[in-house]
Amino acid sequence: MLLCILIAFVAADCSRDGAKDIETPAIDMSDSRAFPPNCATLRRSETFIFRAVFTDNQALGNYNIEIHQNFDHHSHSGEAVECPAEPQKAPVNPFIYNHSFSIPDGLTHYEATAEITIPPDIDTGDYHFMVRLTDRAGWQQLKALSVKIE
Amino acid sequence: MIRIVSIMLIPLFFTLPVYAQQPAAHDSITELSAVTVSADSPRDRMMQSAYNRQMIEGRWVEQNLAGSLMQSLESLPGIQAASIGAGQSRPAIRGLGFNRMIVAEDGVKHEGQPWGEEHGLEIDQFTIEAVEIIKGAGALRYGSDAIGGVINVRHGKAPLRNVEAKVNLTARSVNESLGMAAQIAGRRRRFWYRATMTLVDYADTQVQADSVQYYSYYIRLRDRRLRNTAGKEQNAGLALGYEDGTFRTTFLMTNVHAENGFFANAHGLEVRLSSIDYDRSRRDIDLPYHSVNHLKISNHTEWQSGNWRLEAHAAYQQNGRDEYAEPVSHGYMPIPPNALERHFRKETYSAGAELTYLWGDRHALHAGVEAERQQNRRGGWGFIIPDFKTTASGLYAMDRILLSNDLILTAGARFDRIDTRIEPYRDWYKTPLADGDSVYQQRAAQLRRTFTCITASAGVNYRLKSWTLKANVGKSFRAPIPKELGADGVNYSLFRYEKGAEELSPEESYQLDAGIHWSNGRIECMVEPYWNYFPNYIYLNPTSDYREGLQLYTHTQSRVFRWGLEATVDGRLSDKIRIALTGEYVHARQLSGDKEGYSLPFSPPAEATLRLQYIPQTAWTGDDGFIALHYRIVGRQYAIVPPEKPTDGYHTLALAAGRSFRWGRQQLRITLRVENLLNATYFDHTSYYRLLDIPEPGRSMSLMIGWQF
Repeated sequence: MLLCILIAFVAADCSRDGAKDIETPAIDMSDSRAFPPNCATLRRSETFIFRAVFTDNQALGNYNIEIHQNFDHHSHSGEAVECPAEPQKAPVNPFIYNHSFSIPDGLTHYEATAEITIPPDIDTGDYHFMVRLTDRAGWQQLKALSVKIE
Repeated sequence: MIRIVSIMLIPLFFTLPVYAQQPAAHDSITELSAVTVSADSPRDRMMQSAYNRQMIEGRWVEQNLAGSLMQSLESLPGIQAASIGAGQSRPAIRGLGFNRMIVAEDGVKHEGQPWGEEHGLEIDQFTIEAVEIIKGAGALRYGSDAIGGVINVRHGKAPLRNVEAKVNLTARSVNESLGMAAQIAGRRRRFWYRATMTLVDYADTQVQADSVQYYSYYIRLRDRRLRNTAGKEQNAGLALGYEDGTFRTTFLMTNVHAENGFFANAHGLEVRLSSIDYDRSRRDIDLPYHSVNHLKISNHTEWQSGNWRLEAHAAYQQNGRDEYAEPVSHGYMPIPPNALERHFRKETYSAGAELTYLWGDRHALHAGVEAERQQNRRGGWGFIIPDFKTTASGLYAMDRILLSNDLILTAGARFDRIDTRIEPYRDWYKTPLADGDSVYQQRAAQLRRTFTCITASAGVNYRLKSWTLKANVGKSFRAPIPKELGADGVNYSLFRYEKGAEELSPEESYQLDAGIHWSNGRIECMVEPYWNYFPNYIYLNPTSDYREGLQLYTHTQSRVFRWGLEATVDGRLSDKIRIALTGEYVHARQLSGDKEGYSLPFSPPAEATLRLQYIPQTAWTGDDGFIALHYRIVGRQYAIVPPEKPTDGYHTLALAAGRSFRWGRQQLRITLRVENLLNATYFDHTSYYRLLDIPEPGRSMSLMIGWQF
């Protein structure tokens, strides 16, 4: 009769199966060439190049960059250092940027570069710069940065 | 002949979940001793139904009273409660939850909210008289959704006295919960009534962590409390009944109302540093929060004449849910004018009847018909599911054949037809297009789908000396819900974009359930294994694509195989000491599609529980004073699917003690419980908060004082 319990535990042990991807991809912006760093200042009417290194154990998926205003200081970044913020204000014509990019199939290492132009007539102030990255299995990694637009 | 009929009647009334709603006095289950877990012995139960069925009496729920009904039932083998904070949880049977199992009240399917992982059951657990649990396919009686099983909650029996009353007071330390439940009931000859009222109020939940790491955000917790998880519940109910020797009818009206805050830092599109001072009070409910209301009006009637028996039920249910959040702009959506993010009002009308005929000495024939109409209307600035209307009807027939007293066969078939209409929805704001134009984007298209399904099951019960064996093979199904067909929007609670699939087919499930039971009177041993195959399991698949800046999740179908078992060894060492060991395990694997080789989301880990109960029966403990120890060991869960995290195993200890005092007709009952006695820090893999990396509550004491006369 103790057999019943034994079966349960033996069964519990044979459920391990390898091969499946259970790792999230990584976003590395620690390199000095990576851009923008946390608390960076970007300028209106200028074009900058986003640079980061993406890695995954099996195959990278896609990535997305989103920039939105943080005039109300609604959140704080995941970085250790909090950037000095401007006074709170109401948005008039905030910059909204939301773009997805594909990564060539099957890569485990990718140096991402993307050209982003900031329009001349948008509101200046505090913004959030979000980087999202998936791998082919559907795992996601996120990086949130605070930037300023002048 | 009379003897045979009575033998057949017992299994008959217990096999089908629609049994006598108000059992007569002689089968009153509360008469059983305080320590009896089930109303009938496991051995008899094995013969009563081809299903794996268990009855839990209300007393047991009281003794094991946790934060919610489902958390109370979680210690049963094969039952899981995905906790959503301390006050709420979502039930699952053998890892299948949400719309893959059914919760019923007195045989009437309980309607839940049309969407959302973060809300629990709207049932008042203080008014429960008994709970019936069926593990495995229950489709024959309940139709769509009863794939994993059925939890059928039974409310009060008809009172026996002219007037009787009951008051329960509860307190719980982990969320500083205070509760009061009162009821008064009475009888005038054949007429009876019962009125109930429950009030619960709780503060922010305490967890075993100083901070939470959510996505890339680091959130500090003040006093180890999940800010803004406070809530309250206000329930009321009225039952009116009539009964005579052959006819019984009950009208029931209940209203369950709850308000809960959501963990402030992890709701909405971003981790918010709000200007709301959440830490000023731990009992207040700030944004974001939801307010839910469940109103039910139902009638249940039984009529018996000779070999015939008719049962009928009709119900109206209204699910209301309002979700409030601070209005923020997102993408091209400007700042909304108010805090009402989402509003739902779901109305369900249902009716059904079942006819039973005892044919000769060997057959109990059942035939039933059911119909349901449901409508959902939405509002608010956040879109997740469209308006819909669903009409469902079902027909079934079943025969229970008594070949001998030790061999019973059961077989039945059912036909269902479900018609779903989805109404179109467009954004209330414009989104610019590439060509410079801008449009109100369509989020849901008009859609009409009709699903038909034939299900069947057959089972056998066999008794041989100390052994009882049973097996049941059955097909069950569920129709895709409107969220799966027509969702097309941002899930603000979980940071993702969810997309439905119009072409989904009804999910089908084939399951073989078995049960082996052995007993020598003192020791009972039970093993209940099952094998389950889905040719088209509906699965919300995280893709590698982005939609509107968020990861795209699409509803897809894949082949899935599951198997598992529950095992119990239960021994009475003496009149005073009882020891029970239970274990459960489930394994799931996707056999096709994008996630081939992966498990299913929220797969419960293996676990075992050791229960010791001691009833000293001394002068100062009374005849029912008890002390009980529960030791639960839970395995690790590394079989995960994105975006889950692997969860390590843990073990917890709980202690309970209680007794009652009687004088005359009055009874006072006191129960004290300590959960997580060792104050362990652990994660529950199936918890909603697991994705947010929030550990479960630490040591928690609860006290219940009940008085009745």
